[in-house]
Amino acid sequence: MTNTIQILSIEKTGKESSLQKEHKNKSIKIIDGYFFSRNLDDQKFTKISKLISNDVSQTILTKKNVNKVLSSYCNFNWVVEIKFLPGVTDNIATTVKEIIKDNLKSSFKSFELGSTKIILIKGRKEDITKISKNEANPLIQTIKIYSFKQYLNNFKKNQFKIEKVKLPKKKYSKKEINLDISDYNLSLIGKLGIEENDKSRRGTLGLDLESLKTIRNYFSTIKRKPTDVEIETLAQTWSEHCKHKIFSAKIDDIQEGIFKKYIKGATEKIIQLRKDNFCVSLFTDNAGGIEFNKDWIICHKVETHNTPSALDPFGGAITGIVGVNRDCLGFGKGAKPIANTYAYYLADPNKKYQLYRQKNKDPMLPANFIAKGIISGVRVGGNCSGIPTPQGNVYFDDRFAGKPLVFCGTVGIIPKKIKGKLSHKKKANPGDIILMAGGRVGKDGIHGATFSSEELDPNSPVSAVQIGDPITQKKMSDVIIRELRDENLYSSITDNGAGGLSSSIGEMAKESGGFIVNLEKVPLKYNGLYPWEIWVSESQERMTLAVPPANIKKVINRFNARGVEATIIGKFIKKEKAIVKYNKTEILNLDMEFLHEGYPKLNLKTSFPKIKKEKKKIIKKSSLIVKLHKLLSSPNIVSKEFIATQYDHEVQATSIIKPLQGEGRVFGNATAIKPLFDDEKSIALSQAAYPQYAETNPYDMAGCSIDTAYKNLIVSGANSKKIAILDNFCWCSSDEPDRLYQLKEAAKACYDYAVAYQTPFISGKDSMFNDFKGFDKTGKSVKISIPPTLLISSIGVVDKISHLTKMTPDDGDILLVLGNTRNELQDSVYSKIKGYEKSKNPVVNSKDALRTYRNFEKANKLGIINSAIGIDLGGIGIAVTKMAIASKKGLTIDLKLKNKISVDQFLFSESQSRILVSIKKNKLANFKKIFKSSDYTIIGKCTGLDVVEFKDNKKITRGKISDFAKSYKQNIKGL
Amino acid sequence: MNVLVLSGYGINCENETLHAFEVVGFKGKIVHINDLIQNPKQLNNYQVFAIPGGFSYGDDTGSGNAMAKKIMTNLYDQLLDFSLKDKLIIGICNGCQILINLGLVPSLNKKDPEVAMIENKSGSYECRWVDVKVNNNKSPWLKNISILNLPVAHQEGQFMIPINLLKSIKANNLIGLQYINNHKKLAKGQFPFNPNGSKDDIAALTNQNGNVLAMMPHPERALYHYHVPNWQNNTSKKFGDGYKIFINAKKFFA
Repeated sequence: MTNTIQILSIEKTGKESSLQKEHKNKSIKIIDGYFFSRNLDDQKFTKISKLISNDVSQTILTKKNVNKVLSSYCNFNWVVEIKFLPGVTDNIATTVKEIIKDNLKSSFKSFELGSTKIILIKGRKEDITKISKNEANPLIQTIKIYSFKQYLNNFKKNQFKIEKVKLPKKKYSKKEINLDISDYNLSLIGKLGIEENDKSRRGTLGLDLESLKTIRNYFSTIKRKPTDVEIETLAQTWSEHCKHKIFSAKIDDIQEGIFKKYIKGATEKIIQLRKDNFCVSLFTDNAGGIEFNKDWIICHKVETHNTPSALDPFGGAITGIVGVNRDCLGFGKGAKPIANTYAYYLADPNKKYQLYRQKNKDPMLPANFIAKGIISGVRVGGNCSGIPTPQGNVYFDDRFAGKPLVFCGTVGIIPKKIKGKLSHKKKANPGDIILMAGGRVGKDGIHGATFSSEELDPNSPVSAVQIGDPITQKKMSDVIIRELRDENLYSSITDNGAGGLSSSIGEMAKESGGFIVNLEKVPLKYNGLYPWEIWVSESQERMTLAVPPANIKKVINRFNARGVEATIIGKFIKKEKAIVKYNKTEILNLDMEFLHEGYPKLNLKTSFPKIKKEKKKIIKKSSLIVKLHKLLSSPNIVSKEFIATQYDHEVQATSIIKPLQGEGRVFGNATAIKPLFDDEKSIALSQAAYPQYAETNPYDMAGCSIDTAYKNLIVSGANSKKIAILDNFCWCSSDEPDRLYQLKEAAKACYDYAVAYQTPFISGKDSMFNDFKGFDKTGKSVKISIPPTLLISSIGVVDKISHLTKMTPDDGDILLVLGNTRNELQDSVYSKIKGYEKSKNPVVNSKDALRTYRNFEKANKLGIINSAIGIDLGGIGIAVTKMAIASKKGLTIDLKLKNKISVDQFLFSESQSRILVSIKKNKLANFKKIFKSSDYTIIGKCTGLDVVEFKDNKKITRGKISDFAKSYKQNIKGL
Repeated sequence: MNVLVLSGYGINCENETLHAFEVVGFKGKIVHINDLIQNPKQLNNYQVFAIPGGFSYGDDTGSGNAMAKKIMTNLYDQLLDFSLKDKLIIGICNGCQILINLGLVPSLNKKDPEVAMIENKSGSYECRWVDVKVNNNKSPWLKNISILNLPVAHQEGQFMIPINLLKSIKANNLIGLQYINNHKKLAKGQFPFNPNGSKDDIAALTNQNGNVLAMMPHPERALYHYHVPNWQNNTSKKFGDGYKIFINAKKFFA
């Protein structure tokens, strides 16, 4: 009899090698362990272990062989046992349970099991402590360190344990909350949460005093007290996350708020000017949709998952990516996800910031742990879902030490019409059944990242963080897209993200009028959840569908036949009421109007910020070639190839412009996929953000982001009339007038440039408080705010394969820079490394920029452009070297032609709206027919040699391409 | 000619795999594993059985293991029977891992799997293009092909083969594809030419008849010329190298 199955890989695994290398210790071995809630007899042990292991590559440890097998590696002396805390998603355990259930059928009834990683080492105790810190996150995992002797003893005496969720048996009785209390006590409810009978608090509701008073007034008008569920629901629905109160608030003299005036305003203006069918579905749905061709719509959505990724980087990031996949599934009647995008803004992984959330305790995770976890989270989420992840970028800055920014995006595709009806239109009808499909509900994500009092109890589930389960979602997604959607079996669909059912049903019910939900029907991961917890839980992998009663049986059967759970939990009604029942007791009954629009509107004021003057650093002198190497190897320019190769960008066989471009594999600014086998149209994707420019001039910062995101698509070959953009504002301290001033400025630029470029905003999201308030290692309190970051994602249609460009010139090509180079080195990569000289920040002149872009587009369609690359970080110098690295072909650059600016300003200025192109000699005449001579500069040619050379009068400086490639492909320290 | 392309539980390359077969002239259908278990007789309607790439069961308990166990319990005899007929089976990437875990390849001795797929030596997922050379010309899948340029995308692509078995695999000429370097010589384990550290640079194995092929690279992702990296430098051909595998299947039944 035994209660554990432990499996060892005979040969050294990749994971073991990397651990051994990282900790400079060759005696490390990892065991895959499974702990069972009950003992297995010998027969079951043999059967199950055979099912979950491989005879050829693995050994199963038994009481008899454990000593002998392990001693054949070395004399281990320390062991760390890592397993998930109760209630945390354990995907491996789920699979093992399914394997046992599938293959052993009924022979084995109820049991629980948990997966465990057991790391053995020979070394000092400090070594194993260090390993455990690098391999586990105490917020979601338990870490036990003990001697090897103890391990053997545990093995022989069946002393391995799994901890199940044990919640106290709670009998729910309807709880009414008295709001007729003092302002002080009222604000306590907002800050600390509803008081339980034992005087403990549930955790912050994030409701301010004014909101609570509004709620009090509402209930005094309807002459009753609110229930706890009603207050929780209002808190959730009225949260900044769901209602974007800052973007909709009156700000200074802008009555309608910056969203309506600048973002939606820009799009409305553009639609009015364009008079075409490009914009299909904007702002109202889970993602924004545009026309792809006459039969198909594509949609795009980008989300952030910053706070969860700070707490559990892997879990936060995987949840981020599979979460935004669901936004696509929830677009219209359900779009198929066809590409993922990512953008990470991180602290330097090679630095130790040593920050604490509380004085001398509760440390922030190390920067490299956060970076690695985020990168892996999106890898597992994207790869396991079978969605290519071609497009992304990473940017490093110390100011992200307190909060990393994790942007995850997804592009989806859906036929314009399904059974003759427009697919982007959906409407839950009165009488439709509310069906919840996918995963079960636990305490995941309740009250976001606040720690409940139960946290201290080891048997209570972790509520703050969620871990995505991409396989459960993939199964659900396949049923929806392949088997239900095209038969029009449901009338509406949306995903369960922030706010869980309270939000998804609440939103969807606007289509029919109202809803009645029976919460006791919701399938749970474990017993003991309060109704309000079921209602607001953010457990992942769930969609909510509105299904006409006639189809319900068919729909449920389809889900079940594919191993997906689907449960009826209520119905949509015509009456504009939100009603929730739990075992027949009515626990929520609100007017829909009050639920969605009853919140008090903010009234914000801004003020011009004091600009902190950068301390001028002295410029260090060095040769041009040394400067190029310094810039190429700097973290924000260096190749991100190591991410591109671990993200599957080929799945679905759509990759047409890949993340790594040219024989020399340069990490591109834009990528493209060709989503349909029978249409040569492609989708080009790019993104841009310039947090480094934000403090100097937020208006110009936003202009640069839009310009770069747009330019990259033009350079890749997209049709300028078919480009849309998305805005993701990640701001800090958005309750401070000077931060709000920056926000207003950035939003204003969004309007100006979007209208100038005729690129509608189709979707967006904001995250307004990315600040860390805590302590440093000396116990001094610190506040670290991210620099205001506006990520602009761009999506465009490329009409023909022949329009897609490359960045690799051919021998003899003439090199030209399109657009003007000015002395704009302020906040550039160059000035960060070399020091500041008197300079300006980059400013976009949209008129000049558009002339360049229109001419480029024309020339490209005529086949005049042979290769092209957008000029951004590091200026012309870096663009030229990248071109040489990509093509492995030498270039010669003539520095004679600069006007009034120094060589460094010419080569490293980050002036916007410029493109480096190469054309064949015999195309120059045609080129000149399109471009005015003041709009371009001939800077050199492609020599085909193995060097890049710069000619300054008679002085020639050379650098070998292979050396540049080495600098460019350097590992990022700490990763 | 009909192809059955398997789906379900995290397999995810079924659409493009079916498309590749259709382009060369097959008719086909994507069939969910649970539907096939319900009605295994439908296998009689098909000449080719394809297990596409993906992440069945999230690679938990080893890539391909859980799906192989499900097939082992429910469909093994039918599939073995299929493999013994004049029919074709292909497993690509996760499909390769499943076929190996089922023991249908190399299938030299007994039902139990003889080869294991283990984690890449690099310890990380590798999505990149590689060159492979055809070793076993007698497999209908690989006839008249010498070199292929194809993408791989996997975390566990290393073939682990006991020494004695490797000898008989070689003696029986069951190595289908091997990774080669930029000089068209065997990669000899050198990264990135051999992306996973596989012994003898093995990228694919076949059974003795050669009608069952288990390959790690993805031919369906190299179907058209524009799939190939830097295709703009060579736009003369319509198809990529992956096409050759599928057209071979067609020729086999022609």
